[in-house]
Amino acid sequence: MAATRARRHRSYAINRPSPAVTIVSYALLVAWAVVVLFPLYWLAVTSLKTPLDVNGGPFYFPFRDFKPTLESWRYIFVDLGEDTFRPYLNTVVVGLTSTTITLLLGSMAAYGLVRMHYRVRFAAIASFVAGLVAAVAVIAAGGPWQLALLGGFALFLLLLQTVARRFKRALGNDDIAFWMISQRMLPPVAVVIPIYIFFQQLSLLDTWAALIISYVAAHLPIVVWLMRDYFQSVPLELEESAAIDGASRYRIFRSIVLPLAVPGLVATFLFVLVFAWNEYLIALFLTSANAQTLPLTVAAQNATRGPQWWYMSVLIMIMITPVIAMAIALERFIARGLLVGAVKG
Amino acid sequence: MSGQLSARPVPMAASSRWSLLVARLDRSAGAVFILPAVLVILIFSIFPLVASLYVSLTRLSFSEGGIHLTFVGLGNYAKLVVGIDRTHFIGVTVPLTPLTAAVLFVVYGGFAFLLVRYLRGPGRTVLGFVGRLVTAVIGGALVWLVVDTVMTSGRPGTLVVTLIYVGVDVSVQYLLALGLALLVVQRLPGRRFFRVVFLLPMMITPVGVAYLFRMLTDTSKGPFYPLWAHFGLTDVSWVTNPWGARLAVMIGDVWQWTPFIFIVLLASIESLPVELNEAAVVDGANRWQMFWAITFPQILPATSTVVLIRLIEAFKIVDLPNVLTNGGPGTATESLTLHAYTIWRALDIGGSAAVAYMLLIVVTFVGISYVNLFRRRVTAMA
Amino acid sequence: MSRYLARALVLMVGLLVACNSSTPTSNAQFSGTTIRVVTFTGPQIAEPLQRRAPDFEKATGAKVEIITVPFSDLYQKLLTDFATKTNSYDATVFDPQWMGDYVPAGYLEDLTDRVKNDSALQWNDIAPFFRDFSATFKGKVYTVPLDGDFQMVYYRTDLLQKDGLQPPATWDDYISIAKHFQGKDLNGDGKADYGSCLAMKRSAQSYWMYFSIAAALLQSQGTKQGSFFSTDNMQPLTNNAGAAAALDVYKQLSKLGPPDQLNNDVGDSRGLFVTGRCALSLDWGDIGPLAVDPTQSKVQDKVGAVILPGSKRVLDRTTGQLVDCNATICPYATNGVNHSPFAAFGGWSGAINKAAPSKVKDAAFAFLSYMSQPAQSSVDVTIGKTGFNPYRTSHFTNLGPWLSSGMSETAAKNYLGAIQASLQSPNMVLDLRIPQTAFYQQTALDTALAQFLAGELSASQTMTQITNQWNSKTDEIGRSSQLDAYRSSLSVTR
Repeated sequence: MAATRARRHRSYAINRPSPAVTIVSYALLVAWAVVVLFPLYWLAVTSLKTPLDVNGGPFYFPFRDFKPTLESWRYIFVDLGEDTFRPYLNTVVVGLTSTTITLLLGSMAAYGLVRMHYRVRFAAIASFVAGLVAAVAVIAAGGPWQLALLGGFALFLLLLQTVARRFKRALGNDDIAFWMISQRMLPPVAVVIPIYIFFQQLSLLDTWAALIISYVAAHLPIVVWLMRDYFQSVPLELEESAAIDGASRYRIFRSIVLPLAVPGLVATFLFVLVFAWNEYLIALFLTSANAQTLPLTVAAQNATRGPQWWYMSVLIMIMITPVIAMAIALERFIARGLLVGAVKG
Repeated sequence: MSGQLSARPVPMAASSRWSLLVARLDRSAGAVFILPAVLVILIFSIFPLVASLYVSLTRLSFSEGGIHLTFVGLGNYAKLVVGIDRTHFIGVTVPLTPLTAAVLFVVYGGFAFLLVRYLRGPGRTVLGFVGRLVTAVIGGALVWLVVDTVMTSGRPGTLVVTLIYVGVDVSVQYLLALGLALLVVQRLPGRRFFRVVFLLPMMITPVGVAYLFRMLTDTSKGPFYPLWAHFGLTDVSWVTNPWGARLAVMIGDVWQWTPFIFIVLLASIESLPVELNEAAVVDGANRWQMFWAITFPQILPATSTVVLIRLIEAFKIVDLPNVLTNGGPGTATESLTLHAYTIWRALDIGGSAAVAYMLLIVVTFVGISYVNLFRRRVTAMA
Repeated sequence: MSRYLARALVLMVGLLVACNSSTPTSNAQFSGTTIRVVTFTGPQIAEPLQRRAPDFEKATGAKVEIITVPFSDLYQKLLTDFATKTNSYDATVFDPQWMGDYVPAGYLEDLTDRVKNDSALQWNDIAPFFRDFSATFKGKVYTVPLDGDFQMVYYRTDLLQKDGLQPPATWDDYISIAKHFQGKDLNGDGKADYGSCLAMKRSAQSYWMYFSIAAALLQSQGTKQGSFFSTDNMQPLTNNAGAAAALDVYKQLSKLGPPDQLNNDVGDSRGLFVTGRCALSLDWGDIGPLAVDPTQSKVQDKVGAVILPGSKRVLDRTTGQLVDCNATICPYATNGVNHSPFAAFGGWSGAINKAAPSKVKDAAFAFLSYMSQPAQSSVDVTIGKTGFNPYRTSHFTNLGPWLSSGMSETAAKNYLGAIQASLQSPNMVLDLRIPQTAFYQQTALDTALAQFLAGELSASQTMTQITNQWNSKTDEIGRSSQLDAYRSSLSVTR
């Protein structure tokens, strides 16, 4: 079946659609494209207006309806200068670093959840909770938290090795996955102050590290869930034949599974990058002068005078530019289909 | 379901220390793959969870030397469900009207039918039945709440508003994204352009999207002014009308998050093997049949994941109602997270944590029901 | 011979350098010190601080680092920083209402002595209201005022003159003027415009707007009488004929403005007024300088300001009913009308973190003093972008900076006259500043007002809801301690 193997990048639709369908399709696609692009156009146009033009009513076309000015751009880049550049740098560094780490740890975990069989005994969980309760009790009674943690951990180990051995009922892969995604259910506003205290005790406030760690922990569940589906669709036979040939799990993961899951990896990378790039509340609390990120600068344009639309538009536009550039560059990888023909023959 | 590698670890060919190490690593590969992620999540989530749970049982006050947290037991929760904040959280409920009674009759009838069908079907278990019963009861209570506050002279509280947001937003986003994915997947010239363009809304920071929509919905200086003027609607403000404001929030949310579902569905459809479609074409199936019988069942697993993720995120909606209307008019657009955020800003961190935990309970219920009733079945089919 | 010459030269240069420093501190007094000041992202407030920091550094050697955070979260960030003893900030420019929470908890430095010993600050030049009430808590000074905040009514001089109307003296006048202009084209662009533009959006400035109306009905005996609670038993003044009348006025005004008025915050209402679309507005001092800015305003020289409209009837606290004004009931009335200028928000002021190192505290105080001194502040208050509004007597007496900012002489005299009339009124209303003020105003009052305007609650339901929530919070914190705090904030002694 040479013909099958030759056509590697076939898409789902085999033939060109009929003319009627083509016209309708284009109409709908263009309609939604307009819906998407018009607000962005409005954003761009607002960044070129004076406050008078913004407040005066809708003006659509530069040069025809109003005189465009680069005043807002100048303010953001020149007047603010350092105050724009620093958050920008912080956003880029924190976004890219946390996303890469998240993707690495998350896809490994996802692969484990798909190909390996885990059992977490209820008894182990109970021991863990017991240790936790002990630690909390010590802290509530006024003891130092380091001692409490140590004591709790010791209790956990003790229970694990003794009592817990007697009970066998366990949770499986799906439960672990559900536990992970359940971490995303609580709104950040409830945990932001404890997180602040957590990093304050570690003296990591206002650093890149604090933001990166927070974002990795927060976005791991998403990566795990999304990559699980992509890994599942990699044919088992490929991995089995490699294992028979003597490859280790790591080799299989690295050389066979990951390359086949590139579309999923790229899509997930973009998501997590977008989440980390745009996050507001945790960045607000964990940063001060040095590690502030761009979403804070955008939100800060709403001050006592009301939102300063002109500055905000400029900031939003410079904020989305790198992400869009990355999306355009990476989009081709999402389009690739799996090499189904490789197994046969 | 998920397959497991049946091959054994590599047999030790030579007794060098390196291959010993590799063998040891391979045996523990299971742990190595999953432990880093689990540990990071565990370490990072324990303290905030325990701390915020404790805070929800306390009340904050200032005293000499700093902050003081007084333990009040379930006081904050009681305030929400039966106390002074009841109308804010649950809403104003009224006795049943004929219309609402009819609607509830239909819905409860549907639940009963499904329960009976489960009982009659194969593979029924006691645990399964009990679980479904609990789901039906809680789900029924929520449905009653929504119907009683929305379809009557009652007023929906933040809980109901959030449920409405989630239900409408996720459904519309999914249908829209599916439609767009199917359109874009066709062999039309220029489809790469559309694919990139459709990704854009998701890239903007949520606070930015909220301000953007605030600009757009402004009837005096927003860009749609000529449209309103044409219809003579310049004196109507849709953000000062409860349902108009909610609609604005929902439109903003759909605009922003459709790309999320779109991209996952697109990747999923594009990676489907085409042999089945080819065979179907040979057999004379039309596009519609091909979609329902072949494509849709195969993308269900990816669908179910992305819908679950989207559901969980949708419950936490806060930036759009906050920036567009600050939860107004009155409390019409206030979501649960915004409710928590507003009272948190006024230093009632105990009350705010209580609202957050109520939200957690609801989302956990929805998540578990969704996973057990829908996703399990869907991934089993794959 | 040359050695004497050299020494004489060095002496002369030294004298010249010493004479050139305009601040009372000598050069390099604080060299090596860094002051971290936190406030919200500007340009308002932050811009003048950032602009003058280099001059201050040149004069004293202290480096000033201005850290900005989004406005809506400044309170929480400050509080979390203080409460967790992180102390990443040495000083802050904040809302003095927050003193009600920060001072009892011991976060702010007592500035009474420093203020007394700093002659360059010219403490007595600051208007008595800001000196004695706004900057003070329980008799001690905790802040250095940098800005004077209170509300006034602005009107279009051209429109009122053309139709022979006087600026409003009472809220009934205000309503009738607004009715007169609602729906007419006020800026010549062919579109119907509005009588009055207020910031009625929820969680924005609505509760201050409402209180500007209510204060005239609730307080008539001077600042110490207070207008939020009874100073005898901490009973809220939110459920009586005065509050009901104020709600009625507020509801009427909600229908005499733009259709989006319930979703307009102060940025929107100001924008509408200075682009000529409103006949009247209610605002802080910002509209004055804003109106003369050609990049923002279409109504240069067409704007007048007047003291907050008052009422001819005020609340009798014993009966809960409204009674007519007379010499005993309204001792400070003008022409029979009781005016209660509302110092909403209090005016951005500088405060110092008590836990900062003492040398840093000295440097921080010197910086705040520098910003407040007449030489700097009299220029800053004339520039709209700074967000600083007049608060010193010298700001009114010297017309020079105002004229050079672009105001005409009539406009400047009118604007400053309205401010002066407000500041000199003995019946000025102090904004609430007891522990958990944020709950009373932002959670309880503001939410109920939003629901009232949206029609979710009737007037009596609104008043009951506010009263119940206020009482429940007061009881939660402790009625006697709250009463104590309220009385101290008004400098009332038993």
